[in-house]
Amino acid sequence: MEVFANLGAGFVTAFSPYNLLYCFIGVFLGTFIGVLPGIGALATISMLLPLTFHVPATTAIIMLAGIYYGAQYGGSTASILLNLPGTPSAAVACLDGYPMSKQGRAGVALFMTTVASFVGASLGIVILTIFSPMLAEVGLAFGPAEYFAMMLLGLVAASTLSQGSPVKGIAMVLLGLCLGMVGTDVQTGQQRFTFDIPYLADGLSLVALAMGLFGVSEVIASIGRVDSSRMKAQKITFRSMVPTRDDTRRSIGPMLRGTGVGAFFGALPGTGSTIASFMSYAVEKKIAKDPSRFGKGAVEGVTAPEAANNAAAQTAFIPTLTLGIPGDAVMALMLGALIIQGIQPGPRLVTEHPELFWGLIASFWIGNVMLVILNLPLIGIWVRMLKIPYSILYPAILMFICIGVFSVNNSAFDVMLVILFGILGYIMLLLRFEPAPLVLGFILGPLMEEHLRRAMLLSRGDPMVFLQRPISATFVVITFALLVWAIWAAVRGRKAMPEEAEPAAQASMERPAP
Amino acid sequence: MRARDYTDLIGGSLLLIFGLWFAYYAGQEYDLGTLRRMGPGFFPVSLGYLVAAMGLLVLLPALFREGGLPQPRFRPFITIIIGGLVFAFIVERLGLVPATVALVVISALAEERFRPVRTAILAVVLSVMAVSIFTYGLGIPIPAFAGMR
Repeated sequence: MEVFANLGAGFVTAFSPYNLLYCFIGVFLGTFIGVLPGIGALATISMLLPLTFHVPATTAIIMLAGIYYGAQYGGSTASILLNLPGTPSAAVACLDGYPMSKQGRAGVALFMTTVASFVGASLGIVILTIFSPMLAEVGLAFGPAEYFAMMLLGLVAASTLSQGSPVKGIAMVLLGLCLGMVGTDVQTGQQRFTFDIPYLADGLSLVALAMGLFGVSEVIASIGRVDSSRMKAQKITFRSMVPTRDDTRRSIGPMLRGTGVGAFFGALPGTGSTIASFMSYAVEKKIAKDPSRFGKGAVEGVTAPEAANNAAAQTAFIPTLTLGIPGDAVMALMLGALIIQGIQPGPRLVTEHPELFWGLIASFWIGNVMLVILNLPLIGIWVRMLKIPYSILYPAILMFICIGVFSVNNSAFDVMLVILFGILGYIMLLLRFEPAPLVLGFILGPLMEEHLRRAMLLSRGDPMVFLQRPISATFVVITFALLVWAIWAAVRGRKAMPEEAEPAAQASMERPAP
Repeated sequence: MRARDYTDLIGGSLLLIFGLWFAYYAGQEYDLGTLRRMGPGFFPVSLGYLVAAMGLLVLLPALFREGGLPQPRFRPFITIIIGGLVFAFIVERLGLVPATVALVVISALAEERFRPVRTAILAVVLSVMAVSIFTYGLGIPIPAFAGMR
């Protein structure tokens, strides 16, 4: 079995002391920021991007990935104890986790979410291991037309299926594509939108963009809002974590179904762990014998979404690594990190950089085992960390942002850029535009333009090429269907808006920044 | 006067203006090329018009529905911006420690209540962290204090 040989080699890579250390740093930080409301995986990954330039590509991606799936584990802790989601994908865990906590069953809820997370993640990794090489094989047959069509689909899916209005999502993707145009045009060497500023010749810095949009604007929005220090002290003893036989029996089915739902939505471009967890909650509620138990502390309302978001966090790597198409903004940052390191993700990645691909997959196993250890015996530490006041946290975040972005090129210009994007991010937040599609567009923009120009050159200027090739045509048709749906939803939403908008807007203002 | 959704009204208008400017600028400055051989201007010009179109799609429905005004929180917004700019201005001139201290102190003003002791401790701790992680750990060529090597 080739897979086992490859995986074995991967474990050799992942078990090197250096990679183990970075894997641990990743999952530790991931849990930390997952637990804390007011700082998310996106902000943390963008903050740590500059640090990864100093280490080999495999090590860098192992750490960044660790932050992402680690945050999925930690996210539910605050949901259960405080009714405040630590990460957006853990929002569902509030629905039944917090009632469990009020019934004095917080320990059980925390235990079961960790178990569910591990189950979901493990099965997700198995799916990732099996399907990635297959998909990469398919990807090898792709030409520029397929790539362009697939990126188009990815962008449209990400913007229309994410939270908020589809039109605004598409607008943000387009804005990101525009920002991606800044810099030197690869084909002609022409400087575009650089306004004779030499710093812009290589394009806008991804690090500055991501940190500004996710880090700085999040800090501005969270100051004075996020306050978890008022939490009542709740002792989580080992004894309180033991689930009843009923809890276990009720959880097996939901965990497996959650994994299935999560694995599907994770691998799909444009949908990620947040959608996966909401979907799996809906599925459980629909098929439950007694749906009225949900919202009142039903254990399957916690375990299914938790398995789903962890499975999704793993399968999200499938399209990113094998096709070079990131499904969401976190994956876009991973892609950016690889590109900065000089590695072009795509179907050739598996064969050209096997140590990176299989090493990363092996590190997922190691990381998930580390996470179980971090989350079960050490849960008390995380519960106490919830009491760190935000007024200590945010100056530290700002310091890491400013010095981090400075350290990339040793340029104070990049620090100003981060502030500028922070301003943009805050304005977007006020006007209710999502920053995630923008980053996706920014990263894919230059690639898309290149594939478009190449496809058109090959077809001698005939745009029908995108419809003549079957794979590309399929992508275009799905994209078109999504767009029609989005426009239909926008038109319908115009009438439905006044009644629905008010409470929804209220809720989004109250909600702490993701 | 009828109530409008000012949030989307502002957002849509900004997109419309930006998109039109982007397309105009790219069209003036860069070669469009042909469909077969696209120049550096083709993609940006198309993007600009698409952004403008999306701006209209956000803007127009907002004219016919109610919605609140965005409520910016100026205090954290302005203090954080000033903090970052001050950091950018002095980091190369005075060194990492003064820049970090300035950033921490200015950003602490973002909160309603200023806590001098906590801020002072935080400034010291973060300066030590900054120097040990970045100057010594990663070896970025920026000294703790200017003139020190």
